Formats: sequence, structure tokens, C-alpha cells
Amino acid sequence: MTATPLHAYLVVSAALFAIGLLGVLVRRNAIAVLLGIELMLNAANINFVAFWRYHGGVNMEGQVFAVIVMTLAAAEAAIALAIILNVYRRFKTVNVDQINLMKG
Amino acid sequence: MIGDLWRQFLAGTFWEPLTFALLAAGVLGPALVVVFSRNIVHSALWLLPCLISVAGFFVMLDAELLAGIQLLVYCGGIVVLILFAVMLTYGVGDPDTRVYNQQLWWGLLAAAVFGVLVSVLVGMQGWPRGAEPAAPDVTGRLADALLGQYVFAFEVASVVLLVAMVGALVVARAPSAGAAAADEGEANE
Repeated sequence: MTATPLHAYLVVSAALFAIGLLGVLVRRNAIAVLLGIELMLNAANINFVAFWRYHGGVNMEGQVFAVIVMTLAAAEAAIALAIILNVYRRFKTVNVDQINLMKG
Repeated sequence: MIGDLWRQFLAGTFWEPLTFALLAAGVLGPALVVVFSRNIVHSALWLLPCLISVAGFFVMLDAELLAGIQLLVYCGGIVVLILFAVMLTYGVGDPDTRVYNQQLWWGLLAAAVFGVLVSVLVGMQGWPRGAEPAAPDVTGRLADALLGQYVFAFEVASVVLLVAMVGALVVARAPSAGAAAADEGEANE
């Protein structure tokens, strides 16, 4: 028997998502924007696992979702960092508000 | 509040709220440092305690395998990858560089409105106050679900990983001498 209400997990997760959203909205460095996205993905994962646990923990959909989210987060980080490297080679900056050309 | 805590202490259920509070602080505090740190290396490193605390939440929620994957994939893989990218692009690290763009206050407003709105809306629902112990053999049942009912999603995820890996290699590789010369020529035109 666990005594923590589900509500507590949802509020922590919402706060983490808001912090990640803030990072995505206000940071200039593209890598910092990526860090914000990782925070938001983790907030979603907390929600998936918490709902799985508090709805009996019998059907495994919540955990399956969380595993696949982690897989895609890894793929997304690899691709995004490769693109950031390429952008840095071309523009000599990774500040997203200075990169405004579709064709270098 | 204090009375509640004392009653929980007497009933032996004191440690779970305490652990939850510590983990919540361990998630949200480092997350704030990640967003507000002026130094991008510090941002990337402060992601670690945040992700480890999320793994702690997974342990509290009886998802031990997920906690392990979280430590291996996020803390061991993604953070290291991000640190590599930071070190390859850290030419803009002088302290006078602005860290935030012009929409700092609008961003703060949007994030605050989002967080408060979702917390309030979530609080209006009648969620379970607690949960029965999880059915045993969580990891075994997760394996059955991943390789049974959800095997298609599992395979698609592995194909996506393969494509992402090859794609990242192709995108990030240093331009060959010929391509660099062609770029130069194009730039000179």
C-alpha cells in the first residue's frame, strides 16, 4: 500500500514540464533548448508510470509507453546534436536567434 | 500540517512522504538550475541529479526496470552525448553572451500560467489517494507486453533507433575535402 496521492506526482510532473517549457522558450543556446525538451519528456514519463501504478499496475501499457518514449528521446538527442554540430560548422554559433537562413 | 506529519510518523508511514518530498526537490531544483544557469556545461551537468531523482520516482512507483533504463540511457548516454556536443560547440562561452532571448518575460509568464493552470485543473479531479501493492513480477510482465502485444511498436522503435543512428552519423561527419572545396566555391560565387 502506498500512501502518496496520485495528485502529488501529477503536480511535480506539471511543474517539471513547465520548467522544461521555460527552457525551450527563453534560452538562446540550441543545446539548452534540447535540455528543456529532455526535461519535458521526463515529466511525461513520470505521468505515464504514475498512472500505470495507480490504475492497478496490471496492464503494462503505461510502462511500454515510457520505454518507447525513452528510446525516441535517445534517437532525438542523437539527431538533434548532429544537426547542432552541423549548424555550428556553418554559422559558427549555436544561438537559435542568430540562425535565420534556410540555405547557408 | 505538523500534526499530520506526527501522526504519519507514529503510524510508520512517515518515510514515504519524506522520500517523495526529497525526490521532488531533487527533480525541480536541478531542473531550475538547468534552465537558469549561465554556463551551458553546468546546465548539462545539473541535468544528472534531476534525471537520477526521476529514476528514484520510478523506484517508488515499483518500476525498477524503468529506473535502470533511465540511469543507463539518460544519465549514461544522453548526458554524455550532450556534454560532447557542448564541448564541440563551446565557442560562444564568453560571460558577456546573453543567455536568454528577448522573450524571457513572456516565456516566464507562459510557463507560470501553464504550470499553475495544469496543477489547479489536476487538483479538481478526484484522483486515488493511494494504491494497492502492485501485482508481482512487474519486469516479467513488461517483457511479455513489449514482446507480445506491443511487439510491433517495439520493432518500429528499434528501426527508428537504427535510422537515427545512421542519420546522425551522416549528418555529423566532418565534410570531406571535396565537399568543403565545393562549399568554398559556392560561397565565392
